Amino acid sequence: MGSASGSSRGGLVVFVLVAVLVAALAGYWVGTRRAGPTTAEERKLEIFHWWTAGGEREAADAMFKAFKAKHPDVEIVENPVAGGGGVSHRVVLQARLSAGIPPDTWQTLGGAELKSYVDGKYLEPLDDLWNELRYREVIPKPLADAVTIGGHPYVVPLNMHIQNILYYNKRLFDQLGLQPPTTFAQLLEVASRIKSARPNMQPIALGTKEKWEAAFLLDSLLLESGGPEYYVRLYKGEVDVRTDPTFRQALQRLQALLPFVHRFHAGLTWDESCGLLVSGDSAMVLMGTWAIGYFKSRGWEPGRDFGAVTFPQAPDRILLFHPDTYGLATKAPHRRTALDWLRVVASPDLQIPTDVTQGGLFARLDIDPQQFPDPIRRELQTFVRSNPGKLILDQHGSIAPFSFTQAYWDVVAAFVSQPNVANTVARVAELFTTYKVKEEAAWYRWP
Amino acid sequence: MHTVGVVRAGGAARAGPRLPALEALPFALPLLVFLVTLYGMLGWTLYVSLSEWSGTAPDYRFAGLRWYRLMWGLDRFWVDLGNNVRWLVLGVAPTAVFALLLAYLLEIASSRRLEAYLRTLILYPAAMSFIATGTIWSWMYQPDRGVLNTLVRAAGLGGLASGYTTDPATATYWLIVIFVWQYFGMSVLLLQASLRTTELQEMVEAARLDGASHLRTLLQVIVPNVRGGVLVVVSLLLISALKVFDIVYVVTFGGPGYATDVLAFFMFIATFQQRLVALGAGLAMVIFALAFLVIIPYTVYALRRWFE
Repeated sequence: MGSASGSSRGGLVVFVLVAVLVAALAGYWVGTRRAGPTTAEERKLEIFHWWTAGGEREAADAMFKAFKAKHPDVEIVENPVAGGGGVSHRVVLQARLSAGIPPDTWQTLGGAELKSYVDGKYLEPLDDLWNELRYREVIPKPLADAVTIGGHPYVVPLNMHIQNILYYNKRLFDQLGLQPPTTFAQLLEVASRIKSARPNMQPIALGTKEKWEAAFLLDSLLLESGGPEYYVRLYKGEVDVRTDPTFRQALQRLQALLPFVHRFHAGLTWDESCGLLVSGDSAMVLMGTWAIGYFKSRGWEPGRDFGAVTFPQAPDRILLFHPDTYGLATKAPHRRTALDWLRVVASPDLQIPTDVTQGGLFARLDIDPQQFPDPIRRELQTFVRSNPGKLILDQHGSIAPFSFTQAYWDVVAAFVSQPNVANTVARVAELFTTYKVKEEAAWYRWP
Repeated sequence: MHTVGVVRAGGAARAGPRLPALEALPFALPLLVFLVTLYGMLGWTLYVSLSEWSGTAPDYRFAGLRWYRLMWGLDRFWVDLGNNVRWLVLGVAPTAVFALLLAYLLEIASSRRLEAYLRTLILYPAAMSFIATGTIWSWMYQPDRGVLNTLVRAAGLGGLASGYTTDPATATYWLIVIFVWQYFGMSVLLLQASLRTTELQEMVEAARLDGASHLRTLLQVIVPNVRGGVLVVVSLLLISALKVFDIVYVVTFGGPGYATDVLAFFMFIATFQQRLVALGAGLAMVIFALAFLVIIPYTVYALRRWFE
């Protein structure tokens, strides 16, 4: 060794590099490790939700206000990701879950989305909490069933969004002496009467940019053509779509409506499609209960400027719903606080201010429907109270697995742009087998 | 980076009995980090694409080519592939040709001030994000009240009014227009740089002295001699066109239906919406394979120059 200083300098460099690597690994290990249950828990709640847009942000605030009122010492850490329907929310959440660093609780729909977390063993069963709160007794059975996987409830639902509501321009309907349609035949009739009275109007508003909106329209037609039992069987994958006359008929009916549907639907999001009613371009739109908040934000008053009916109401008045829910992460860093949170989520103290703001119905049946400021939801909640069995989990939120649902939306949206019944039937049939719907949706029970 | 590390290591070995590997380590480290990250991720993606992973939880059981077979069977995959080819051809060729023409025009333009002004003007779109340009273009394309159709109608050419991105037959082409608009300025700039080598300037001067027209100079002197610059521009454009995602996401979200879908967008939907992580990884591998094919000409050219 001729040059000792040279080699020791080299050794130093290696030492520093190794030290840095070790420190980084140790830091990572400490970061991913969770404090055991014996350590005193921080009063902190890490929560993921997608209510970040205008209108929904206020609902999230109402939620946290209700929680803070009961637990003022808890620090709430939100990781909200802007973006409707949780598109980017799911990207971040998925990364955190696969990395083994979940938040304490996160927003999820019931049904298939919930099931994907349960299958991944990311959520704890909440049987004890449900028993403690007697939650099964205060919510509709179809709602409890939509969040029960393999016999265990995994989340606490706080609302129900109803999907099949037809909103209409009330002033126009009054002027033309029209009754709001509740069957396909009436819808077609009303649409063509509007078209002849107002040639510049495209009576039915629709926005298919995000695709799911197209499936809403088809869903309602399927519900009328096949009835509630058929609807459930279809999305459980128990119907052979290839030869099924009902599915074909629903597509044909959708095609028959297309001449009355807004032409440039492919470029519109759901709120823009509702905006077509306000701007006078269209007269009706099929949208979920969340549209009420949108219309009000545009200065439209329910009962004065716009009305709403369940569509269809034949052969039966069925409400297609999906809930927003929160659960408890398996490796929740703040387990006790998260359970406190879920207790508040289940309470009227949270549900009343949150649901009134956000636009759904109350999950609890013991809350007075008069709490709603608008007649539309007062009526819907009253109906649900006396007919909880008329609720069906919708395909949106969903009975079938997400892999199917997403692809299905695309195919239906493509149909609305370029209708081809035979082709679409074949595609949809293929999706049912490709994504193993029958197997994946077997968990769902209705009635 | 690569050459620096190698040269230093070699130099140290010849200089004396010091420890060359250790000396070289700090210099080679960035390269190592880069290679490990890149090829590690690539290998990982390949591995995931051969696994059973669907759903939220990782599942690394070996699935063979199952997801690739599923992919070939999907109509959407072939629509995407077709669209990607459209992007590659129509997004790149016109951009490169027009950029060369404009770069040459700017070179022979007598007014330097005009050149500086024009260059800033066409470079401006490149400074904006696709999210911003996508949003603005989608407003312009809006068939009802967008500026394009309004202008067309105001000019009395209502028959030419189009559905733009809402018409499944033409939607992809309107998206490609945005891409061309955005990358045009950058291409001009790169080509201008390659026009300015002393060697080429002399050849152009000689051609002009011999009485060649501007067009002939362009076709017979410049085009054969800026191959390097053109290859760089074309490769950059090809890769950008291949990985296109933002424009589709912002303007059409893949619609109408999935008429404007591309592989990168489907990869996003498959991984995070459908939660078919293995399928998403498989789509990523297809994009990688395409990128590999697409840059072969450039690689061959670069290697040939290397050995010259």
